[in-house]
Amino acid sequence: MRRGRWITRTGQSTYLNEALAIWLRDLRGEFRTRYAVNAILMFAVTTLIAVSFSIGSFRIAEAEKPFLYSVLLWIILVFSALSGLSRSFVKEEEAGTMDVLKLSARPQAVFLGKLFFNLTLLGALEIIIVPSFILMMNYKIKHPGLFTAMIITGGFGLGAGTSIVAAMIAQASARGALFSVLSFPLLLPLMITAIKGCERAADGMNTAGWPEVRIAVAYTVIMIIMSLFLFPLIWEE
Amino acid sequence: MIVKVLLTLWMTAMIVAAFLYAGAAAGFPGQTSRILFFHVPQAWVATLSFLLSMVASCMYLARRRVRVDYVALSAAELGLLFCILATATGSIFAKATWGSFWNWDPRQTSIVILLMIYGAYFALRSAVPDPEKRRVFAAVYSILAFVTVPFLVFVVPRITASLHPEDTMNPANPGMDPKTLKVFLGSLFAYTGLFVWMLRLKIRLLRLEGRQEPEFIITEKLRQEGEKR
Repeated sequence: MRRGRWITRTGQSTYLNEALAIWLRDLRGEFRTRYAVNAILMFAVTTLIAVSFSIGSFRIAEAEKPFLYSVLLWIILVFSALSGLSRSFVKEEEAGTMDVLKLSARPQAVFLGKLFFNLTLLGALEIIIVPSFILMMNYKIKHPGLFTAMIITGGFGLGAGTSIVAAMIAQASARGALFSVLSFPLLLPLMITAIKGCERAADGMNTAGWPEVRIAVAYTVIMIIMSLFLFPLIWEE
Repeated sequence: MIVKVLLTLWMTAMIVAAFLYAGAAAGFPGQTSRILFFHVPQAWVATLSFLLSMVASCMYLARRRVRVDYVALSAAELGLLFCILATATGSIFAKATWGSFWNWDPRQTSIVILLMIYGAYFALRSAVPDPEKRRVFAAVYSILAFVTVPFLVFVVPRITASLHPEDTMNPANPGMDPKTLKVFLGSLFAYTGLFVWMLRLKIRLLRLEGRQEPEFIITEKLRQEGEKR
């Protein structure tokens, strides 16, 4: 009943319906295998422990903390995301379900569904890693609202910038390494922005206007629109 | 052939003029300002080829002509070459004036990201086995990378102030010495000419290589058989 309601093509099958159907299907698959979640979270936790163990919460001078901690946090977030986000498309290629997916939904809907799924993964990653990082490193944040907004918009940007690359590398050889190589130059502007934004939130100076959050939102919107334009070209090959 | 000879003569004249005709600009230690005649045209050509590669990629996605993809690939390869040249000369200048070869000036940051984009572009091209797919993916990636460039231009300079000379050496600035301006524009022209000449060579080379590909040989055979009938 539930499944039929989402996947039905006879009634009004909108882009959003199809995208949600793909999102739910991916979530269900992920709950069964837990492959992407395990890969990303274990990578993140391992890195976090390594960083926390080797630096600790007293090694860095108080004045340096806002900047250096925000660098460390974003390095952990970006590289754990890069370790598992390509999974959403690679698994279709490996399971041989790519062709069925091409037949059963419009390309933009597939992209949106995969994007929702990646954003869900990133949300889970951030919910677990960011509070643990703050606790383990004793990270004092003067402006929690800006910090939260920066983490959320930065996460959206990460998902928006990497999803179309995942679709490309799923059809290439040497997938794992290639995903990071291709995504990183695209993500760098976002990463620099997010680091700056988190630093600003932590030291609580010049927080008016939230320029970094706005840049991250603009980046996300532009990447999603460009991906919606370009995705059908790489999907229907 | 004529183009090659003219280009050689013009390039030689510009190199001689850069050292003998134009004077050293004031405000720069020693003769360092002469880098203007080499570094800036290189950076200009690197930008131009990046733009050309992106435009050709768009055209390829619209029309699916292999020749257009040759333009995109050749422009990207030459762009990488000029990008490396600009990075190297820029960092020699940085050593002479700022005291270190590398200090993450915003200009250096953006050129490193440009180098990384080129690197990723070639990595992608070498990783997709199917030629048609390879061209489409490369074109898509090139457009995506181009979209992020405005962020670099507007975002990175916000983070730290740049030491890169702008006003003292800007040709639009009336303060520039007329002799310097002449040589600079001549050099810009020479480098652009060099780029166009190399680009045409590279495209011809790719076209010849393309004839060895099984895809081409098969379509060519079919065409000849069709003519026989």
